[in-house]
Amino acid sequence: MRQQLHAEWTKLRTVTGTGRLLLGTVMLTLAVSAAAAAAVSCPPAGCDYDPAEISLFGVQLGQAVVAILAVLTISGEYGTGMIRTTLAAMPVRTTVLAAKAVVLTGLTLAAGTLAVLASVLAGRLILPGNGFTPAHGRPLLSLADGPMLRAAAGSVLYLVLIALLSLGIAAAVRDSAVAVGSVLGLLYLFPVVILMVSDQDWQRLLWRISPMNAGLAIQATTHLSSLPLSPWAGLGVLAVWAAAALLGGGLLLRLRDA
Amino acid sequence: MQATIDVNGLRKRFGPTVALDGMSFSVKPGQVTGFVGPNGAGKSTTMRVILGLDAVEEGSALIGGRPYRSLRHPLRHVGALLDAAALQPSRSARNHLLWLAHSQGLTAGRVDEVIEQAGLRQAARRKAGGFSLGMRQRLGIAAALLGDPPVIILDEPFNGLDPDGIVWMRELLAELAGQGRAVLVSSHLMSELQDVAGHVVVVGRGRVIADTGVAELLATVSGDRVTLRTTARQEAARVLEHAGAVVTAGADGRDALTVSGLTAEGVVTLLSRNTVPFSEVAAHRATLEEAYMELTRDAVEFRAAAGREAAR
Repeated sequence: MRQQLHAEWTKLRTVTGTGRLLLGTVMLTLAVSAAAAAAVSCPPAGCDYDPAEISLFGVQLGQAVVAILAVLTISGEYGTGMIRTTLAAMPVRTTVLAAKAVVLTGLTLAAGTLAVLASVLAGRLILPGNGFTPAHGRPLLSLADGPMLRAAAGSVLYLVLIALLSLGIAAAVRDSAVAVGSVLGLLYLFPVVILMVSDQDWQRLLWRISPMNAGLAIQATTHLSSLPLSPWAGLGVLAVWAAAALLGGGLLLRLRDA
Repeated sequence: MQATIDVNGLRKRFGPTVALDGMSFSVKPGQVTGFVGPNGAGKSTTMRVILGLDAVEEGSALIGGRPYRSLRHPLRHVGALLDAAALQPSRSARNHLLWLAHSQGLTAGRVDEVIEQAGLRQAARRKAGGFSLGMRQRLGIAAALLGDPPVIILDEPFNGLDPDGIVWMRELLAELAGQGRAVLVSSHLMSELQDVAGHVVVVGRGRVIADTGVAELLATVSGDRVTLRTTARQEAARVLEHAGAVVTAGADGRDALTVSGLTAEGVVTLLSRNTVPFSEVAAHRATLEEAYMELTRDAVEFRAAAGREAAR
């Protein structure tokens, strides 16, 4: 698999789009996180906000850029017909998908870590000005704090799983536009539907299977007991989605004519 | 590894359409094998099957006795150009070759060699998306040669080439075959393969119509003809037919005759000996295109007749 990895890495680093999308992930995540931190305020009487969720809010938009990058790594090849060159050079198709997944994981880990660290730093700088002060019983954000570290590291993993989910879906549907639409629909429609459903049991069920709602539970540091799933179990739901997408995509890639 | 392609009884449908209907032939080393047929005859599908891109319902395609998908470094065994436009437009030509090289465990040094060989040195660092079709064909050729493979497969390589490019392609094909490689070249125009191909596989509707050496094809299908101009047509015809030739009225003018079964020298000798006057004797060599038309006309007539039978 070493040579397949080398080839896929060379492919990704030799198109300008990759760098731009990774930069876009970092910038968008940071900008939206900082804006969220600037928008909330905590009066001396106290507030209900989770500072970790607020400082990492940008992940909810940064994930869209990650999804686009992931989709393009395979759908872009279907668009140009280059997939046939790829599969002629590397005929073991599941290995090709695995190589793409590994390279994508590495890039998303790097960009995601940068984005999350920058967001946490922005939150640490901005939130105290909005009333999140030790005097109000709200300590400064710190990665030395166990739940905060889990929220930050978990957010990076969340972005990686979003990339893998998107890659799997793109391998299955092949067309870039359809793939991006499917991924974003899957991510953003669940929260909307949950808001529209009035029945509490249905709400909790939908929340539990929603890749974005369940996955982002990893960012929660307050009111953990009221969540339908624990943070790690929530991220596990997203991991199941990603694994299923990769498995399905890989199977279709193997069976279909190129 | 043997430089051969063996295609055996391929069958494949796309929905109700039969794409391959028992396609069988083999390609031997040291010569260019032309793969000729009208559009939709199954040439590209066959090539995709050979390269492990498309699956078949029946039959097998082997490279040197092995299925393509079992090759560890396939580009070191088979170099192929299927679709010159199939590349990422924003990647440079050199980087396109570089990822291919890395996938085969080859170095950047080999990339620079094939860039030189394909005449792409000036353009190597430009984005491939801006290339003309001719340049993309050259890039595709560079990719096919990357692994120095014993088997080369090219789908319509003459498409989009300017006259210089066509000459270059013909010389390259001859050179590759001369080095002992097995070269399979598809085309829907037989004339493109004249003087290049040593062997032709003619296909139609997913099966092989003829699989023969070019020399044999030219000899059997058409034979050589002689065009004769004379004012004494009846006398000339009598003399020539007496010697065993077949004489027909020429298509172009009242004084022209077409003679088959005799060489031009033979015609001149006979007419001179019998003091028949003539103004012109021209030898007409059968072209590969004519041979191909004659072959496919038979196939078309056969199909038409079969259709009438079926309709009855």
